[in-house]
Amino acid sequence: MKNIIEIRHLTKKFGEIVAVNDLSFSVKEGELFAFLGINGAGKSTTINILCKQLAKDAGEVLIDGISQDVDSAITKRELGVVFQNSVLDMSLTVLENLESRAALYGLFDKDCKDRIEELARLLDFSELLRRPVGKLSGGQRRRIDIARALLHHPKILILDEPTTGLDPQTRSLLWRVISDLRKSEQMTVFLTTHYMEETTDADHIVILDSGRIVAEGTPLSLKNAYTGDFVTLYGVSEEAVKALGFPYTSHPGGYRLMLPSTGSATALIIAHPELFVDYEITKGNMDDVFLAATGKSLGEERGK
Amino acid sequence: MKIVFALIKRNIKLFFKDKAMFLTSLITPAILLVLYATFLGNVYRDSFLAFLPEGLVLSDQVLGGIVGGQLMSSILAVSCVTVAVCSNFLTVQDKANGSIRDFLVSPVHPAALAVGYYIASFCSTMIICLCAAVICFVYLAFVGWYLAVADVFLILLDIFLLVLFGTALSSIINLFLSTNGQISAFGTIVSSGYGFVSGAYMPISQFSSVLQNVIACLPGTYGTSLMRGHCMQGAISELASLGIPADAIAEIKRSLDCSISFFGHEVSTLGSYGILIGTDLLLIAVYVLLNVYRMKKAKK
Repeated sequence: MKNIIEIRHLTKKFGEIVAVNDLSFSVKEGELFAFLGINGAGKSTTINILCKQLAKDAGEVLIDGISQDVDSAITKRELGVVFQNSVLDMSLTVLENLESRAALYGLFDKDCKDRIEELARLLDFSELLRRPVGKLSGGQRRRIDIARALLHHPKILILDEPTTGLDPQTRSLLWRVISDLRKSEQMTVFLTTHYMEETTDADHIVILDSGRIVAEGTPLSLKNAYTGDFVTLYGVSEEAVKALGFPYTSHPGGYRLMLPSTGSATALIIAHPELFVDYEITKGNMDDVFLAATGKSLGEERGK
Repeated sequence: MKIVFALIKRNIKLFFKDKAMFLTSLITPAILLVLYATFLGNVYRDSFLAFLPEGLVLSDQVLGGIVGGQLMSSILAVSCVTVAVCSNFLTVQDKANGSIRDFLVSPVHPAALAVGYYIASFCSTMIICLCAAVICFVYLAFVGWYLAVADVFLILLDIFLLVLFGTALSSIINLFLSTNGQISAFGTIVSSGYGFVSGAYMPISQFSSVLQNVIACLPGTYGTSLMRGHCMQGAISELASLGIPADAIAEIKRSLDCSISFFGHEVSTLGSYGILIGTDLLLIAVYVLLNVYRMKKAKK
């Protein structure tokens, strides 16, 4: 698969602050790419440069093989963006919003009408077309945001924390639609999120900290590289757990030990059978990867 | 071109559907109407009657034509600028709520956006001002109609030029604003201040000479003066037929701001048009140049 996005040695400074520091990575066509980092890590700056909303200080950005510096009108046509907060016009109806945005891509009259109808069926908002966007619920509005981003059949869909604040049902619907689109249209999805479980299906993950890449790979390779196994022991005393000599945290009804590998977990069970009466072994999750790679927790970000 | 038209349509719809923005734009004319109904009408009437020779009695029709013309010119001259400023706030609102980002991620050229905002603001203001003009014409028809057909067309021309002025001026200022707080502050200053500096609340001739000279440096003043002249021209001409001397009529015109002087030199009607049209062209040129500069800066 070819690279649909290539970022080479990208740098952006705001005064003395280096927001993005010599960043290089690529995104393959059709993949779900997750771009992670706490607030201020440089994610939004990178996305803004990618969308040509912000000028870069150094480096190069290629979309589908074309440098943004050569022709941003072409590269912009390849992008559909769902912003963190809805940027639609609250006083206008859904239809008026979509028609005005479709015009920006040269979609008018029948072409425009057909595409809006198609998206309304796909995202299940046909009954909302005549309602003002300001009167919609958060979930309904998000569906319209995604429809707006998809109006012109973009090759790349940029989702900037698309499901923040949404109910589980709407999140599930959005992910189903996005997943279908990826399959049917070979669409590349560039995702930033604070929900680590949304990255488990990603083909490639980049974790950013202070404007630099601190980890990248598939979810499995990152888990193998950054986390071990977790053994949760129930009905034991803290003294007994402490005596095992592994880092642990308190867990409802017991304690959670962090072990470097499955092998060391097995050895521990064999060595201390009296403690392993009620226990479970799990692999580390993406939250653990993030914590290990950055030393920071995304849980704090979600709370903000 | 279709893209620009779609942007204009969106901007106009948004202005008329956004109740806060729409109603804010009507604050100044509304204040003027309230002031007129409560006391300004009487002030206009009394100050005009003070210029008349003793013993001369005017019919209610003539008096209504003059005072009504003064009110009409005040409302229209102020509205052309304040409504333009408020309708143009959409530009800043789009920056504040992030809608502009949605446009900038699209391949649409920034120049199309700038033109879209300008023409939409111009059209929205024209719609409101033309509606206001129709209401004023109906009002004048009741209290005293002395307008010739030429006066009506000249009033429409004045509206056109003043709206161009208001739109261009606010478009330039809005380029430097980016938050709702800033537009609220700017809107308050314009809404409360423009009525005074344009002589809508009180004739400029009643200000101190220093202030008169300062106001004479503001191009909008000449638009107000033109509007006043055309709204009152017919009724004032009627005074001549009643035997009022030409000197007295000239003094009345000066006191009502129908003619205006620049540091002691009276500016002719043609001169006022020259200043207004020149200012319109200059402001539009500045707006275009500022946009070109910003686009070049963004490309770097």
